[in-house]
Amino acid sequence: MSGISSDVIRGYNDTMILYLLLDEPSYGYEISKRIKQLSNDKYIIKETTLYSAFTRLEKNGYVESFRMEDKENVKRRTYYRITEAGKTYYKEKCEEWYVTKEVVEMFIQAGNLHTAEGGTTIL
Amino acid sequence: METIKNYLETMFQNLPNTAEVKKAKMELGQMMEDKYTELIQEGKSENEAVGTVISEFGNLEELAESLGIKEVVQEEKETLRRIITLDEAKEFIKDKIRHAYFIAIGVLLCILSPCGCILFDYYAPSLEVVLGCTLLFVLVAMGVGMFVFSGLSMGKWEFMDKELCCMEIKTAEYVKREQEGYRMIHIGKLTIGVILCIISVIPVMIISEIEGMAKSESIGVVFMFVAVAIAVFLFVSAGIQSGAYEKLLGQSYYSGTNTIYTEKQKRITHYNNKIVENIMSVYWPTITCIYLCWSFLTYDWHFTWIIWVLAAVVEMFINTIFKE
Repeated sequence: MSGISSDVIRGYNDTMILYLLLDEPSYGYEISKRIKQLSNDKYIIKETTLYSAFTRLEKNGYVESFRMEDKENVKRRTYYRITEAGKTYYKEKCEEWYVTKEVVEMFIQAGNLHTAEGGTTIL
Repeated sequence: METIKNYLETMFQNLPNTAEVKKAKMELGQMMEDKYTELIQEGKSENEAVGTVISEFGNLEELAESLGIKEVVQEEKETLRRIITLDEAKEFIKDKIRHAYFIAIGVLLCILSPCGCILFDYYAPSLEVVLGCTLLFVLVAMGVGMFVFSGLSMGKWEFMDKELCCMEIKTAEYVKREQEGYRMIHIGKLTIGVILCIISVIPVMIISEIEGMAKSESIGVVFMFVAVAIAVFLFVSAGIQSGAYEKLLGQSYYSGTNTIYTEKQKRITHYNNKIVENIMSVYWPTITCIYLCWSFLTYDWHFTWIIWVLAAVVEMFINTIFKE
């Protein structure tokens, strides 16, 4: 199983996007490309997912959009910039994730140990 | 890139023309274009790039809420058609190709069936009835057997005629590529078939010109049957295979939550006169019947074929006058 469950990751698409906007404003494709790169090609965000995340983030005031020419001066694109509210929200989400991860992992570990013990017995 | 633009157009075709929808379409289009450009720069082929971009697009349902088009999207889902999946399309093409060869071989056997009679008639008349006719019926029986078997085994695809079907755009792309790849083979088959038809009469002509060879004329006739049989084999198999692609592409496209129905091309000719329409529905079988009766009664086979040419001309006249 190399695929990633979209159900699980859905709640954290916004977090990923905000993380990528922390340093500098960015635009649609660049963000999707960096998500792919940073996840070692394990997660490819769909265009529609990304766009609906943008509209949701903007509606909640976590990002602002503006039109700007890109670095190579080729095209005018819609860029997104993180707001102060967005940074706060990002921190909240990070903390939420630590707790989530901690809780979920307890059960994952238990499952793993169980099979590991089984394997040891056979050896 | 054209495919991607069409894809996006198709997806948004039935959505209301609000500012949000327009913006979403523009932004999504930009993202797809960026991704496409980069894939091409990485050295991917056009097909690969288009495939990747479309498969990573996602679906409109996700946008429904942010665009205020939830109702539209749900409405669309209710009119869902039977979706032909990529695997089904592949299987359909495979089955159709097999069907094409079955039918083509069946026709080939039927055309070859009189050859035994012709040969025995010249070389061993005493055996003509026994062996010649036996061979004739055996070959016809085999041919018909193949028609029936193949026809029945294609029965599982009947739903394509009965139900409204559609397929995903990537399936349609696949079929189009297959069709494109097959095009040259198709042209080749038809060309060879036509050449065979034309040269089929040469042996008969040559043999009949040579002194003392008159008895061997039957070999020329048999050669003609064989050449025509191969030609018809090529025509039939080519026709059925290309028909398979057209059949699939005649279905409408389905993409994400958006269904587009493209009116199937109607092949059936309609006449503006009810009586003419009834007559025309049995036109060709009637001609066949007249041809066979006339030929068997008079044995003027060398002449009776003219009925086909006449019948075709008459049909053209009727079509020009009465067709809607």
